[in-house]
Parts: sequence; C-alpha cells; structure tokens
Amino acid sequence: MKTILQIEDNLANKLLIERVLEPHPYRLLHAADGETGVALALDEKPDLILIDMGLPDIDGQTVVTLLKQIPDLENVPIVAVTAWPADTAEKMARQYGCDGCITKPIDIRLFPAQIAAFLEND
Amino acid sequence: MKLVPAGEFSFEQLVDAYNQTRVDYVVPMPMNVARLQEYSRVYDVDLSRSVVVMNGDVMLGLGMLGVRNGRTWITRLGVLPNGRRQGVGQAIMEELLGQSAGLHAQTIWLEVIKGNTPAHKLFCKNGFRETRELIIARRAPNLKAELPDDLRVKSVTPLDHEDALMLLSHRRERPNWLNEMESFHHVKNLSALVVELLDGGRGWVTYHAGLLQLTRVCVEVTVGDPAEVTAAILHVLHQRHKRQDTITENLLDDETWEGFKTAGYFEAFRRIEMNRPAPRN
Repeated sequence: MKTILQIEDNLANKLLIERVLEPHPYRLLHAADGETGVALALDEKPDLILIDMGLPDIDGQTVVTLLKQIPDLENVPIVAVTAWPADTAEKMARQYGCDGCITKPIDIRLFPAQIAAFLEND
Repeated sequence: MKLVPAGEFSFEQLVDAYNQTRVDYVVPMPMNVARLQEYSRVYDVDLSRSVVVMNGDVMLGLGMLGVRNGRTWITRLGVLPNGRRQGVGQAIMEELLGQSAGLHAQTIWLEVIKGNTPAHKLFCKNGFRETRELIIARRAPNLKAELPDDLRVKSVTPLDHEDALMLLSHRRERPNWLNEMESFHHVKNLSALVVELLDGGRGWVTYHAGLLQLTRVCVEVTVGDPAEVTAAILHVLHQRHKRQDTITENLLDDETWEGFKTAGYFEAFRRIEMNRPAPRN
C-alpha cells in the first residue's frame, strides 16, 4: 500500500483530501506544520508528499527545499497543493523543484487521478 | 459588536483568529505563536492599541497597530468569515485611526496585497493614498551555484551585525516599515558583505542567515550599474549560502530589482504601500 504524507495546516482541507482519497488503497499521514512534516517524512519515507505552501511555522517552499536536500527522500515526489493563484503556484512549484502543483480548491473528481499519476511516475 | 484591546487575548487566541481571517486570502500566510510574537516584537506592534472585534464570545475580526516615533502602521487587519459584511473592517479602521490620533501620529502607514480589492477600497475610503508598489521575492536554493564566468570580484569583506546596521543606516531610498532601522535594531545576528568588482563596481548586501532561510536581504550599489552590481553582489552571497531558501520583502521595482532577477529571484507577489497624513488642525 502506498503512503501519502499530507502537510497541511487547514483542518477543512485536510479532511477534504482524506475523504476524497478514502475509497482508494492509500495509507494517509498528516502533519499540521512544516517541522512535523519533515520529521514524519524522515520517519516514514512516504511514496508521495502533498504540501501546502502556506504553513504556520516554516514556509512550504522552505520545507520543500529541506526535503529535497535529504538523500533518503530525493526520489519522493513532492506536489504543492496551494491556494496561490495558478500562474504563481506553478512558477513557485517549478522554481522549488516540486514534481507538480495542484491549486486549491481541489477538483474532487480529478484529484484521485492526479494523485495516482504522481504515484505512477514515482 | 464590542471592541476589545488585543492585549487582553493570548497569542494563541490571536493566532487562531488571524489564521481564520486568512483561510480564503489572496496570498496564503498563516502564522503560529512564535511567528506572531516575533512579528510583534520586530515591527513594534502595540497590542494594547490593537483591537479585536467581538460579538459576545465570538471573534469577528482583528487589526494591529505598529507604533514608532511620530507614525503608526496598520497591519494584520482581517475579518473572520463569520464577521464579513457587517462593517467589522470599518470598525477596526476607525479604532486604529483613533488610536493613531491619540498618539499624535503625523503619518499612518499600511500595505495591502495587490489584487485585494475589498481591502484597498476600505483603505481608500478611510483617506489612504498609494505611495508605491513593493515586491516580495523569493529565490530557491541552488546547490550547484557557481559565480558566473564573466564576474570578476576584486574583494569580498564580511561584516558583523553592528557594521551591517551601520550600512543600513546610510541607505539612500526611504525604507518601508518592515525594513526601517527600528526593525533591524530588533533583529539579531545580521550579516553583511561589501563587494568590490574589478571593473570598479562596488556595493553591499545585508542579510539574516538562518539555518534554512536567508531573510532581510538588502542591497545597495554605491558605484557602478545598479542592475549589474546588484546581480554580482547577490551571486557572491548565494555562492556562500547555497543551501538556504531566500525570501526578501518589500523591494522597489527599480533597476536593482533587475539585478535580483538576474541572480535567480522571482516575484511572489506585490504589496501596495499606502499612507494617510494626519489631518491638519
């Protein structure tokens, strides 16, 4: 079973993603801030990381920067899930070496397929 | 609707309310307690003159007031989703303007994110006028960063915190509230590099180097082409700090910004700086 780590401070967004992915065979982990997210990523070595760029303790961009510098995690795809305007979000994701970008609000019909695609490319 | 000084609430309560005001904001920027405490300290936010709007036990909105010699700064103003369309924003503005008048502030400053039309309208309605646009820029780290082949550096002189403050005190441009000397006096461990190029170009950069981030990057060119020398100085900086992510706030959209872009920075978003002079008696 593939493991997905969601780093997201907003409870409503966290619950929405959990609900949308519930019918699918994934193990979901959650961190509400950047520091917990990095710790969970190191401990659990997930197959995919979904990260909100606006986190309360450390900017999501900085967390991505850190995760990308950890050898054990260098092959784990990181996808920015963000409320930034689409063009800024894509630019941000590209500049920081994210493997993709999904803008909020997520499209609940498309989201499972988007996630599956990122996991397949892993 | 009741207005209560923000100082009567804990930082936890203020952070919780503030984050709720930003859930659907144009630029996501939640805070935690440590961040809000740091923000309040560095930018001289006076919580006793800041305000929370309540309806019974329910918070509807909040706004904070920075206080410095002869001027005030309205910041972190927001209305929670359950307080919208009830005049909460206007009530906060009136309170913060009243506090500023009580302090005999000659000028009241604020910034609004470009594209936040409702907030911009509220500020215009309350007598604020645009002064300039400010750029919030980021630069992702590049572990393979090398100095460009055509960059000829004559000397790089690292300076400590006190020297960095000295450089900052001699800036030519009027700094924004975030980058005023009062802010930098509240920051620990600033660093600086004075860079001299073989072609005679010269300038300096001040910054704060954290474990994960470079912040508070300020560049001033003293001799040479502003864009080229800025780019050169920043290349030198980032060659020394390859692993850190960089964010710098409230840059002017001038020739220097071209140098930032050449060195790998990109615009995250813009703020519009606004002010309102005190009414004449």
